[in-house]
Formats: sequence, C-alpha cells, structure tokens
Amino acid sequence: MKTIKAVHLRLYVAGHAPNSVLAIVNAKAFCEAHYLPGYKLEIVDLMDHPLRALEDGIVVTPTLVRLMPKPSRKVIGTLTDQRQVVLALGAG
Amino acid sequence: MTPLANKNAALTQRLSEAEATIEALISGQIDAVVDTRTKGPVLLTKAQDALRASEERYRQIVETANEGIWTIDANSITTFMNGRMASMLGYTQAEVIGLPLSSIVSKAQQPKAASNIESGRAGRRSESALIRKDGTELWVSVSSTPRLNAAGEYAGALAMITDRTEHREAEDALRRSEEQYRQIVETTTDGIITVDRRGQVVFVNKRLAEMLGYEPREMIGKPSMSFMTLTGQAVAKAAFKRRENGVADSSDSTFLHRDGTEVTVHISGTPVVDSKGNHTGSMAVVRDVTESRRLQSQLMVSDRMASVGTLAAGVAHEINNPLAAVMANLDYIADVVGKLGGNAPGVMSPAMRETWIRDEIKAPLNDAREAAERVRFIVRDLKMFSRSPSEELKGPVNVKDVMESSLRMAWNEVRHRARLVKNYGTVPDVDANEARLGQVFLNLIVNAAQAIPEGNADTNEIRVTTRLDSGRVVIEVTDTGPGIHPDIINRVFDAFFTTKEVGGGTGLGLAICHRIVTDIGGELTVRSEVGAGTVFRVSLPEAVIEAVTVEPAVIPQGGRRGRILIVDDEDMIIRILTRILGKEHDVVATVDARKALALCAAGEKFDLILCDLMMPLMTGMELHSEISLLSPEQAKAMIFVTGGAFTEKTRSFLSDIPKEHIEKPFDAANLRAIVQRYLR
Repeated sequence: MKTIKAVHLRLYVAGHAPNSVLAIVNAKAFCEAHYLPGYKLEIVDLMDHPLRALEDGIVVTPTLVRLMPKPSRKVIGTLTDQRQVVLALGAG
Repeated sequence: MTPLANKNAALTQRLSEAEATIEALISGQIDAVVDTRTKGPVLLTKAQDALRASEERYRQIVETANEGIWTIDANSITTFMNGRMASMLGYTQAEVIGLPLSSIVSKAQQPKAASNIESGRAGRRSESALIRKDGTELWVSVSSTPRLNAAGEYAGALAMITDRTEHREAEDALRRSEEQYRQIVETTTDGIITVDRRGQVVFVNKRLAEMLGYEPREMIGKPSMSFMTLTGQAVAKAAFKRRENGVADSSDSTFLHRDGTEVTVHISGTPVVDSKGNHTGSMAVVRDVTESRRLQSQLMVSDRMASVGTLAAGVAHEINNPLAAVMANLDYIADVVGKLGGNAPGVMSPAMRETWIRDEIKAPLNDAREAAERVRFIVRDLKMFSRSPSEELKGPVNVKDVMESSLRMAWNEVRHRARLVKNYGTVPDVDANEARLGQVFLNLIVNAAQAIPEGNADTNEIRVTTRLDSGRVVIEVTDTGPGIHPDIINRVFDAFFTTKEVGGGTGLGLAICHRIVTDIGGELTVRSEVGAGTVFRVSLPEAVIEAVTVEPAVIPQGGRRGRILIVDDEDMIIRILTRILGKEHDVVATVDARKALALCAAGEKFDLILCDLMMPLMTGMELHSEISLLSPEQAKAMIFVTGGAFTEKTRSFLSDIPKEHIEKPFDAANLRAIVQRYLR
C-alpha cells in the first residue's frame, strides 16, 4: 500500500500586493497539480500578522515554505516558473 | 550525517535562499521586506511607486519648464541642464554636462556671474549674456540659488534662465516706434496739442507753437484758452465737455497768434484716458486752414464769376430788351413833342388835352421808366454776384428777393426750355450772405434748366417753392428733366463730378453750393426719379436777428431851401441832379473836384455837398480830406453818390462817413427825401 505522504505548505504574503496575489494563485495551482489527493496550504498575511515573519525567519514576501515533508524548503518570488518550484520542492 | 556536514548543508541552504531572494528582488517579484527594527513588513512596491512618481513629477516639471534650468558644482562645472536651456544654447542635454561656466557665460559677464553666485543670495535676478554653441550671444535673465552640502558649504548653484531676446527685441521695437512717433509728431504739418482736465497745455509740438508764433516751452503749462480768440474759447469749452463724455469729433475754431492776428483752424479732438479709463484730458490735431479757407472763398467767387460770365449773353439780352423800350419810348415822346408846333395842347379842350397828355406823354414815359427800372434790377443783380469776398457779410437775407435776382440772371437759360412756376410761401429771413445764397440758387436754376432739352418749353416746368417746414426755411427747385440715375445720385455733390460735356461745366457748382449751404448751418439735398425729374432742396435755419427795414422815403412837404454843391465828373449826372434839386434849392455844380475845393477855400459855405466818389482828377476821398483840413464842419456836410464797383479802401472810407451815401441809379423822389432830411 502506498503511503500517502502529508504535504504542508505555508505562503507568506503582503496584503493584496500584486506579487503576493500572483503567488497565491500560482501556489494553489501548483498544489492542485502535484499534491492531490491531499495537501495543506496555509496563507499568512504579514500585514495582519507582522510578528509571524520574525518567528518564522521570513525576510521578504512572497515566500513559500514547505513545512512537511522535512527538510523544510523555501521558494521566494511569485512562483510563476513551475520548473523551479518543482526543483525546489520536489513533485508529489 | 556528521555535524559538520549538517552545518554545511544548512549554510548552503541559507546561501541558496539568499540568492533566490536577491534574484526575486532583482526580477521585481518582491512585495515587501521585513524590517528588523520595526519588526514589520515594509511594502516595497508602495515606496518604489511613490519615489518613482515623485521623480517623474519633478522630471516633467524640469523638462517642460519654459525656463532654462542649469546646475553647476562647486567648481562651476555644469552638472545638468534641462532640455529648454540646452536648446536655447543650441546644445543637446548630453553635450553640456561637464562644460565649465566660462564657456557658457559671455566673458564680459563672467565677473558679474561669479559675484552673483558667491553673494549666495537666493532668487537674485540679473540680466546676462550667454554664448550659444554657434558663438552668438543670447540675452537672458538669470535667477540663481546657491546649493549647500550637509556641512553648509557651497556645493554649487542652481540657476533659472529666461530668454530675454524677445523682450529685448520688443523693447527695441517699442523704442524705435516711439522715436518714429516723436518724429511724426515733430515733423507733421499739423499742430498737435494735449491738454489736461483743466485745459492747461501739457504738450504742443513745434508746428503748433510755430502756427501761433511761440516756442513750445512758452505754451506748456499755460491755459490753452489764452491762445484762443473769444469764439475759439467758446468752441473749446464745448469741446472739452464733449471730451469728458468720451466724444471725439472735429470743429472749426480760431486761435490767436502772438501778434494778435486770428488763425483759422480745423481741430480734430480726442479724449485722453489713463490705463484705468479715467478721463485725463484731450488731445487735438490742429490744422491751419487760414490759407485754404481763403482759397476756398476765392474759388467760390470765381465759380460765381464764371456763372455770371456764362450767363453774360443772356444778361445782355435781358438788358437790351428794356433798354430798347426805354429808347423807343423816349424817341416817341421826342417825336410827339417835336410835332407839337402850332398844335399846342393849349388849343385843345381840357378833356382832350388830358387824354392827349396821358396817351402821348405819360404812358410812354411810364413804359420807359418801367423798362429802365428793369435794367436797374439786372445791374443790381450783377453787382450782387460780383461782390468780392471781403464784402461778403452775413446777415438777414430775404430768400424771395435773392431767388428773384437769380431767376432774372438765369432767365435766358430757362425760357427756351421750360415754363417757370413760382410758388412763394411766406418765410422769415435767413442768416446768410446774399451773394453766396444767390450763387446757390443760380446754380440750381441753371442746372434745372440745362437738364431739360431746348424746344418744348410749354411741356416742361421748372418750379421754385419757398415754405416754412418745422422752423426751417425750405427752398426747392424742381425740374421735369430726365432725372438723375440712382447710380450717380450720391456723387452729384462731389467736386469735379459732372455729367456735362467738356466745357459745359466745371463740376464744382454743386460741390460749392453744398459747402455754402452747410457753412450757414443748412442742408442741400437731392431727390430724383428717372423720367420724372429732380428736386434740389435747400433747408436753412431762420435768421436770429431781425432784418433792419429801410424806412421808406417820405416826400417832404415844403422843406427847407438849402445851398447845395454838386461835384461829379459826369455831365449827365450834374444835369439831372440840377434838374431835380434846382427848383427847391440853390445849386452850384462842377465836374472838377479841384474847383469845388477852390470854392470852399474861397470861403463859400454849403448846406450839403453831393459828391461823386470815383473821379479822374481828384477823387471824392481826396476832396473830403482836403475840405476836412479847411473846415471840418463843411466836410461833415458831404454826401457821397456812388456807382458801385468798390475797392476795399472806398468801402471802409464810406463806412466811416456818418451820412448815408446815395447809390446810382437813384430815383428823384428818394434823392429829394435824403437831401431834405440832411437839411433839417
């Protein structure tokens, strides 16, 4: 039986800034493409929760962090180039 | 994994994250950076946009400014110029960076520029010449501001540059045009005068001062009224009032020359207002028309003479007819009296004798007298038309009398062409000059006649009418000629416009008539219908002064017998005067004034001396002055008898003589009455 690996992603954004909005859209599309049937995508708006940035060691937005599976990985930018995202995070 | 390998992997991880961050930053994928001091995200886009927008705003201002903008560093090396400034100088913006101030500001201006920069005063404006790339000069106005560094030291300057070339050219043009105006004002043949609101002279040009015999500086500051005659002052007063109401117009007036003579002028005045529109005085162009008025009146007289000359043949005819009647009637009487012989009327019955005397003597005598009277009228008309301008006094004139004179003069022109219809309404006298008014009427009548072809006198009509129309005396001359075409009717009063063939008319007649009529405050108008005829209408103001009516001669009843001396070079006149006066008075007569003088010198006394004015050996004037030396009393008893044809000298002489003069021809009753009046 194939074990379903849990995928947990967190995207740090800055309100409705254009790059952030684009990153959200791209992140959702990426997860739908690679992590079905199950994944968790968390979106953290630093404009609402500024302290979360320091706690999580975030310097710029947008930043996508793979919390699970370990080891954690970061992808910075709008996530427009899917090949790079696959390289960084690995596909499903 | 070893701890070291672990550490190494972590480091690599961090490094690649940093690289990715930088890459994302560069490619513009970053929205916000977390500020470690405020512990919050700082939105990058907002800050960038604001910076970019503000830069753009400044760039636009700098580049679209109409002024040149120029910055130099502490060593006076150009660090920036906006497009406007670079193009002013003929450079591209890139070319100017690094150019020293010394190659942009003209040499002569460099010390000033340096001092301006160093004085360090912001916003200081000065004029300066810059050097274009092609070496030509560019006049600019410069406003410079020093730039200080953080330490407060001079770090260069920013200058705003405005192109003054156009201003300068405009200023030059203004100066040139002012100079031109000054020249026009000073060289014009018209006088120019400006007065303030009180009428004080503010400015006069040379010409006006010359006209009045002054220097301009002698007139400035004086009341303008002091250079005018009383009439001129009245004209000016009314004109100043009109100027105050903003009216510009022109009028005739008289100024006073320094030597006391009158200068006839035509003035065109304009109100002067300041920039706020307040009335500050008036300006006038003054033209000396003394000479042109003189020429004009000469022209009028020569036109009048010309018409009399043209009519001379007709007038001669007019004189010849009655003259023939006079002669024939006198011959007839002489014949009758000569045949009397033995058939003296004494042998007839009283009734027969009365009938005989009435038919054979009185009737032809009356006819002769009537005919002679007509000759007298014609000669008087001729005299009226040939008066010189100096005798042209204005006064109350009887329109009908003048019209009658004119009709007699023109009768020969009229009678072959049309029936003459006179329709005289009762009108008051008009203020005019007889001769000039006669000239107008004569012109209108002759024109009317000449409009009608000769031959059908009974089917054509020339009608003269006089009537009073709402306070104005209206005289109309109507003809049944072909009429004037609408195309040319507006030109009939133009000088030199004529439809007559060469030699038929000067074309001045109606122009002069128009001038005469408007000069006395009247109007001359024309109305015409092609095929029906033409009406010329003169409308004149009523005379203000009542005509002085000459008291009719009263034949004296048993007057005093006096001793009378008659002096006349014409034997005929001596004989008739002796005949008229000899029965009532003691008459002594001589044809030689020198004999008359001898009589007076010998102590002879006379109650009256009837003296001719124009005599070949000694004139009446000379006799008068000689007798005055002998006895002023005797000189006062002189009455002059004149046949007209005056000179200026005789005219003023006669006006100084207290007693009225007797005009030839005279009638017996009138002569007796005058003599009797002075004998009492």
